[in-house]
Amino acid sequence: MTSIDVRAADGGVVLAQSGRLTVVTAPQLRATVADRIASGDRLIVIDLSATEFVDSSGLGALVSCLKSARQAGGDLRIVAPSEQVSMVLRMTNLDRILTPRVSVDDALRG
Amino acid sequence: MTTYAHREVDVAATVASIDVVQTEFDAWWTELGEENVQTRFAFEIAVVEIATNIVEHTHRAEGSAGRRFRLELTADATSVTAVFTDNGQPADIDLSTVTMADTDEESGRGLALAIAALDSLDYSRVDGRNTWTLVCGR
Repeated sequence: MTSIDVRAADGGVVLAQSGRLTVVTAPQLRATVADRIASGDRLIVIDLSATEFVDSSGLGALVSCLKSARQAGGDLRIVAPSEQVSMVLRMTNLDRILTPRVSVDDALRG
Repeated sequence: MTTYAHREVDVAATVASIDVVQTEFDAWWTELGEENVQTRFAFEIAVVEIATNIVEHTHRAEGSAGRRFRLELTADATSVTAVFTDNGQPADIDLSTVTMADTDEESGRGLALAIAALDSLDYSRVDGRNTWTLVCGR
């Protein structure tokens, strides 16, 4: 089961993506982040602790959302990726621009 | 003689089928009893990337209506193998030229990930069918 749980936090918004982040679910993440940026959020925190699996489409969505956040003067931070997600980030060198934070609080603090 | 888990799935060439493929993969892997999680991660990402590639290629080339693909998952003592077949248009791809996209690109990582994760990835066109063969040591 895949879902995105959205909650406002002090300083930003936290999106918890559970299940798989693939070509099936990536459009939902892109749309959710676009909505939040349009409604004024600037710091987007993606909690990946319950994301079981990410593929290249999911990575593409994260890169796209990072760009959107930065173009709006904000930022996007990822939190606590699983072993599979960490492996794929390393294989694609995306761990250089999407440096994982250990906790949501850590990501919100900057 | 030892028998190994074996599964086949035949699905519509649509995005929603990627979830079906992953659920089938999960059941097959559990039945196989392979405990090396790194092997699973590597093989699963390759299977998902090739399935996605087939769906997207089919959609671009001819639309998805009525198109299907088949996946067969097999194993032996030393390797796991996935074979995809579909009767769509030939895939115009030279695997020897595939490189990983730069970090600021939003696409162009799928085949590079599959190649990096596998011991071998082969594409062939035989009797009007595309065949992708993915092999990973275990």
